[in-house]
Amino acid sequence: MLEFKNVTKKFGDIVAVEDISFEVNDGGFLFIMGPSGAGKTTLIRLILREFKPDKGEIMFNRENIAELPAKKIPKLRQQMGVVFQDFKVLPESTLRENVEVALAVVGLPKEEWDARVDHVLKLVELDKRADLFPSQLSGGELQRLSLARALVVNPKIILADEPTGNLDWDTADKIMDLFEKINKEGKTIIMATHHKLIVDKLGKNVIRIKDGKIVEGGKIKKKSAKDISKKTEKDISEEKEDDSEDSKKDENNDDKKVKIDKEN
Amino acid sequence: MANTQLKTAWTHIRRSPFQAMAALFVLSITFFVITFLSIITYSSGQVLRYFETRPQVIAFLKDDTTAESISTLQNKLKADERVDEVDFISKEEALEIYKKATADNPLLSELVSPSIFPASLEVSLTDLSYAQDVIKELKSDEIVEQVGFTASLGGEDTLGDVVSRLRTITWYLRIGGGTFALLLASTSFLVLIIIISMRLTTRRGEIEILKLIGATPAFIRNPIILEALIYASCGVVVGWLITLIIVLYATPSLILYFGDIPILPRDAVQLLSIFGIILLGELLVGLFLALTGSILAVSRVRRKG
Repeated sequence: MLEFKNVTKKFGDIVAVEDISFEVNDGGFLFIMGPSGAGKTTLIRLILREFKPDKGEIMFNRENIAELPAKKIPKLRQQMGVVFQDFKVLPESTLRENVEVALAVVGLPKEEWDARVDHVLKLVELDKRADLFPSQLSGGELQRLSLARALVVNPKIILADEPTGNLDWDTADKIMDLFEKINKEGKTIIMATHHKLIVDKLGKNVIRIKDGKIVEGGKIKKKSAKDISKKTEKDISEEKEDDSEDSKKDENNDDKKVKIDKEN
Repeated sequence: MANTQLKTAWTHIRRSPFQAMAALFVLSITFFVITFLSIITYSSGQVLRYFETRPQVIAFLKDDTTAESISTLQNKLKADERVDEVDFISKEEALEIYKKATADNPLLSELVSPSIFPASLEVSLTDLSYAQDVIKELKSDEIVEQVGFTASLGGEDTLGDVVSRLRTITWYLRIGGGTFALLLASTSFLVLIIIISMRLTTRRGEIEILKLIGATPAFIRNPIILEALIYASCGVVVGWLITLIIVLYATPSLILYFGDIPILPRDAVQLLSIFGIILLGELLVGLFLALTGSILAVSRVRRKG
């Protein structure tokens, strides 16, 4: 589905990401972990083709999107669902309209909108709030709205950039349950986050990035809810990246290429 | 898709009603003035045509002239390329004309008989520039007593004064009016660009979101262009309608004042046809202004952003 091959991106003299290689197959779930400034968001933005890499290839469905001409970028993005940290919803449109706009963008006939919108709003449990405006929603509800908009176009892949960044733990937990549910239904998910507890909770594949380079990659062991609940919210917000004994190092991969497959 | 984009354009108009009103107001005034000037230009053209085609030269005939010699002169004039029309006015017909002209004082017409009125030939020319030569030739004809001018205020030295004056007025109307209309149209164009640019700046965040979820440039641009087209069409219709109402209201009084001069068509269908043609032309101009202005505004903002 998606493969990064020796991708490097610089902004002036600053190396945002360097020699990144990893692969995510259909139905896979990948966490990109790292502290602020590690390069997580840069990777998401490279997939979205907000800019081109300076070196390397980004293969999406066997097409190198790094070489995609500008006029084809909207088509690429229409195949992806994106969830942002700051939600990025249209403030003067209702929930329903916010979700419908994604269908209008992909050009789906209007007759098919209602069924799809109703389905995703029900999935994210916002069906009873469809006529409210974003200003009338909580942070968690806004993130669910963002997820609904990402899902309604039936994307090939969902990109989430710190989706729980502005949320409290309980809300973040619920959001992550939704992501897990969607992944189980077969959606490929790539999520950038610095929340170790979230990563531990789901026990999915993860690559750790530091200073723009992959320092570690592989599948981590899922932690139990009991272990996680021992952490206070203060601990969660101050959680730093460390070499957890639960993380498996990818010792055999000299060039640090990580391959992520669908969960069994 | 078009429905959705129209709905989006309408939503944006509703969100900023004062900007919409400003655009509509400026465009309405522009097209009110343009319609008004079009009607005045039409009317002045009609008046000019009226005076140009009326008999300009009258050749008064001698009393002893025979019908045969009158016929000979009439045929000679009809064959002349410079002459558009020749009409013979008998003494009796001359008396009738006099009676009509003095209808408010019947005593004057009771005192006269046809014998005192000379028969005449009324000559309309194809171009007033031929008038001098034709008059000279008529004067030299043996059956012509005197040569005079209609719709003129004097003799040969003031020949074509009225027509010349009308031509000048019409010319000034066309040039002056056209310049003024162009000025107003340019103002409308600039106002449109400014309002559209403001719209885009206000919607910058929304546009960024749309781009990130895969909106094409056309998807983002089309509602904006539609918005401008709505302003233009409404402005044209409002301006045109106001002029139509004023003209319809004033037409009876104008017809009464100008009498035989066809300043405006007396037939309602013809009048509405003229207005219909003006509306069509203005819609084309308005839509062109809107399209060009909005595309310019969009490309300006895209270059900046």
